[in-house]
Amino acid sequence: MSADPNPHPTEPDVRPHVYDGIREFNNRLPNWWLFTLYATIVFWVGYWAYYEWFRVEPEGARSVELAMTRIDAAKLAATAAVNIDDKSLWAMSRNPVFVDAGRQTFEANCVACHLKSLRGKSESPTAIGPDLTDQIWIHGGDPTDLYRTVTQGVPAKGMPTWGPVLGPKRITEAVAYVLSHHKEGEPIVIDTSVSAPAK
Amino acid sequence: MQNTSPFKPVRDQVTTIREDGSRRFLYPADAPGRFDRARRAAALALIAVYLLLPWVKVGGYPAVFLDVAHRRFHLLGLTLAAQDLWLLFFLISGLGFGLFFVTALLGRIWCGWACPQTVFLDHVFRRVERWIEGDAVKRQLLARAPWTPSKILRRAAKQAIYLLLAAAITHLFLAYFVSIPSVWAMMRDAPTKNWGAFVFIAAATGVIYFNFAWFREQLCIVICPYGRLQSALTDDHTLVIGYDWARGEPRGKPGSPGAGDCVACERCVSVCPTGIDIRQGLQLECIGCAACIDACDEVMARLGRKPGLVRYDSLAGLSGRPRRRIRPRMVVYGVLLVIGASVAGWSASGIRPAMLTATRMVGAPYYVDGGTVRNQFLVRLVNKRSEKVTLNLSVRGLPAAATVRGLEAPVEIAPMGEEVRPLIVQVPRAQSALAIVFEVVASDAAGSFRLSRAMEFLGPEAAPDSPNSHEPGPRSL
Ligand code: SF4
Ligand code: SF4
Repeated sequence: MSADPNPHPTEPDVRPHVYDGIREFNNRLPNWWLFTLYATIVFWVGYWAYYEWFRVEPEGARSVELAMTRIDAAKLAATAAVNIDDKSLWAMSRNPVFVDAGRQTFEANCVACHLKSLRGKSESPTAIGPDLTDQIWIHGGDPTDLYRTVTQGVPAKGMPTWGPVLGPKRITEAVAYVLSHHKEGEPIVIDTSVSAPAK
Repeated sequence: MQNTSPFKPVRDQVTTIREDGSRRFLYPADAPGRFDRARRAAALALIAVYLLLPWVKVGGYPAVFLDVAHRRFHLLGLTLAAQDLWLLFFLISGLGFGLFFVTALLGRIWCGWACPQTVFLDHVFRRVERWIEGDAVKRQLLARAPWTPSKILRRAAKQAIYLLLAAAITHLFLAYFVSIPSVWAMMRDAPTKNWGAFVFIAAATGVIYFNFAWFREQLCIVICPYGRLQSALTDDHTLVIGYDWARGEPRGKPGSPGAGDCVACERCVSVCPTGIDIRQGLQLECIGCAACIDACDEVMARLGRKPGLVRYDSLAGLSGRPRRRIRPRMVVYGVLLVIGASVAGWSASGIRPAMLTATRMVGAPYYVDGGTVRNQFLVRLVNKRSEKVTLNLSVRGLPAAATVRGLEAPVEIAPMGEEVRPLIVQVPRAQSALAIVFEVVASDAAGSFRLSRAMEFLGPEAAPDSPNSHEPGPRSL
């Protein structure tokens, strides 16, 4: 038998420290409480084995890295899915799926200036945007020029920067819709008088 | 009077933990009385409320439905979206201050009367135990008895009912998060189809079963943070359950000379669900269940003495000092509570089922185009509901000669979707000014709500002699 840890059995067993006049009884912790401590130790062994010994799954920084790679890949796939070159944009402009989607985007966002007919100033002198159905272009008339103009906008003249608002997919569709009013290989006239700083 | 407590509670130790750390199970005796009846009524009403909240519909949604899958939170007809989550700050701080206030005034009224732990333990699980195993003496004898078939049968029946009750509580709890029809659908599906929900239900059932079958008062004594926090919130004038020392001491048999009113029958100890002796003063274990009041009042009534030797009173009142309800801390907690509640109420009243924001488009603040000044905006609409909504857009407060483009067609927004529309405003040069404040307004087809946002139409300072068309004009501030 070990010695009685409490030398004064009539006095309660009190820990030696005192904080702000508060002392602490040296009562035994509940067994169920100690059990939770032992259970966490057992859990820790399993956790350590899972991640560090057998490396069932990557842990910490590695798993973040992997997740970031997955996100980047998904982002790339989203842009890569949209092939932006003249040829593919012309091809999309003949595909009703793209053209229909593009019409919806156009009618929600572009008709305020270019009108529903796409004819802008040609239809009504009070319209804000230029005609998109004629062969006269201001900022380039190749499909990729259109894509660039829509994405980057022409802030000096009020053409909004649609890139961050609509994203590549919807811009591609809208460009396809505009191109559906044109024919590949038609003559293009660049109207420099409008794009010059002062008319 | 039967003494059913084989222990003498001391203040230096937790009664329910023996000196070797093992658990001492309690067999609290029945304590019929007025508080017992009132508490049972309150508990049944609360259980009815818990049960009804996910069933009763308010404004098309269950009264409380925390739709985690769609990040929509329906509270009594108010629908909060993820965008409204900042309100949670006021909700939680409001609850916190509410708890502060109530605790400082009424002590552990919550613990004894409204806490789900007490409500389910005292009025559901302990009732089952009482029904199957009998009163405190019988329960204690059964616990000591050898494992006869009758004991095995009783114990198995009790645990089986406990498990069923725990499962029922868990499903009810899940219904707050996934709605009754989906809970029902999941229950009929194979567990593998809703693996996550199944594991959650199984684990939660296990935890709830363990809590009510075994853990019980340990939760209040060791785990519940509110139980520990209360000692910092209460003072000598807080309503607590206490023993009238002056009246009761010295304890003695009825009729013995010089004795106080306490007859040392220990009834108050035997009924206590946390195993303390209230005559030793206010202790952290006390959950304010008032069982000891009912127990002592019954004894006093039998002896023809006044009730209230153990009673609801403040520490000041129990020691014969004047009682005070209004103290500085009541004012401070009260003011904080009122501020929190009014801010929460005010901000909740501003919650709409959709959101409207408008920003100036990237580029120049304005364009001078011939005889007109043009401003371009982007109007962004977010639908926070799980059904589609159609909004009509308009502007107000612009000069009559202004032309507005882009908002003509009604905007249909998919459930929880987002739509962007350009807004182009042109004002004749002659009528434009440095800034015209106008409003973008959206309202749903039924006219049940309206959203608006104030914007500024900007123009050049004064009409120059020769308008420089297409050039964005400089703007001096
Ligand atoms: S001391 Fe009285 S009020 Fe407190 S828990 Fe025990 S029986 Fe309930
Ligand atoms: S306080 Fe009341 S119930 Fe408790 S021992 Fe004294 S007389 Fe009995």
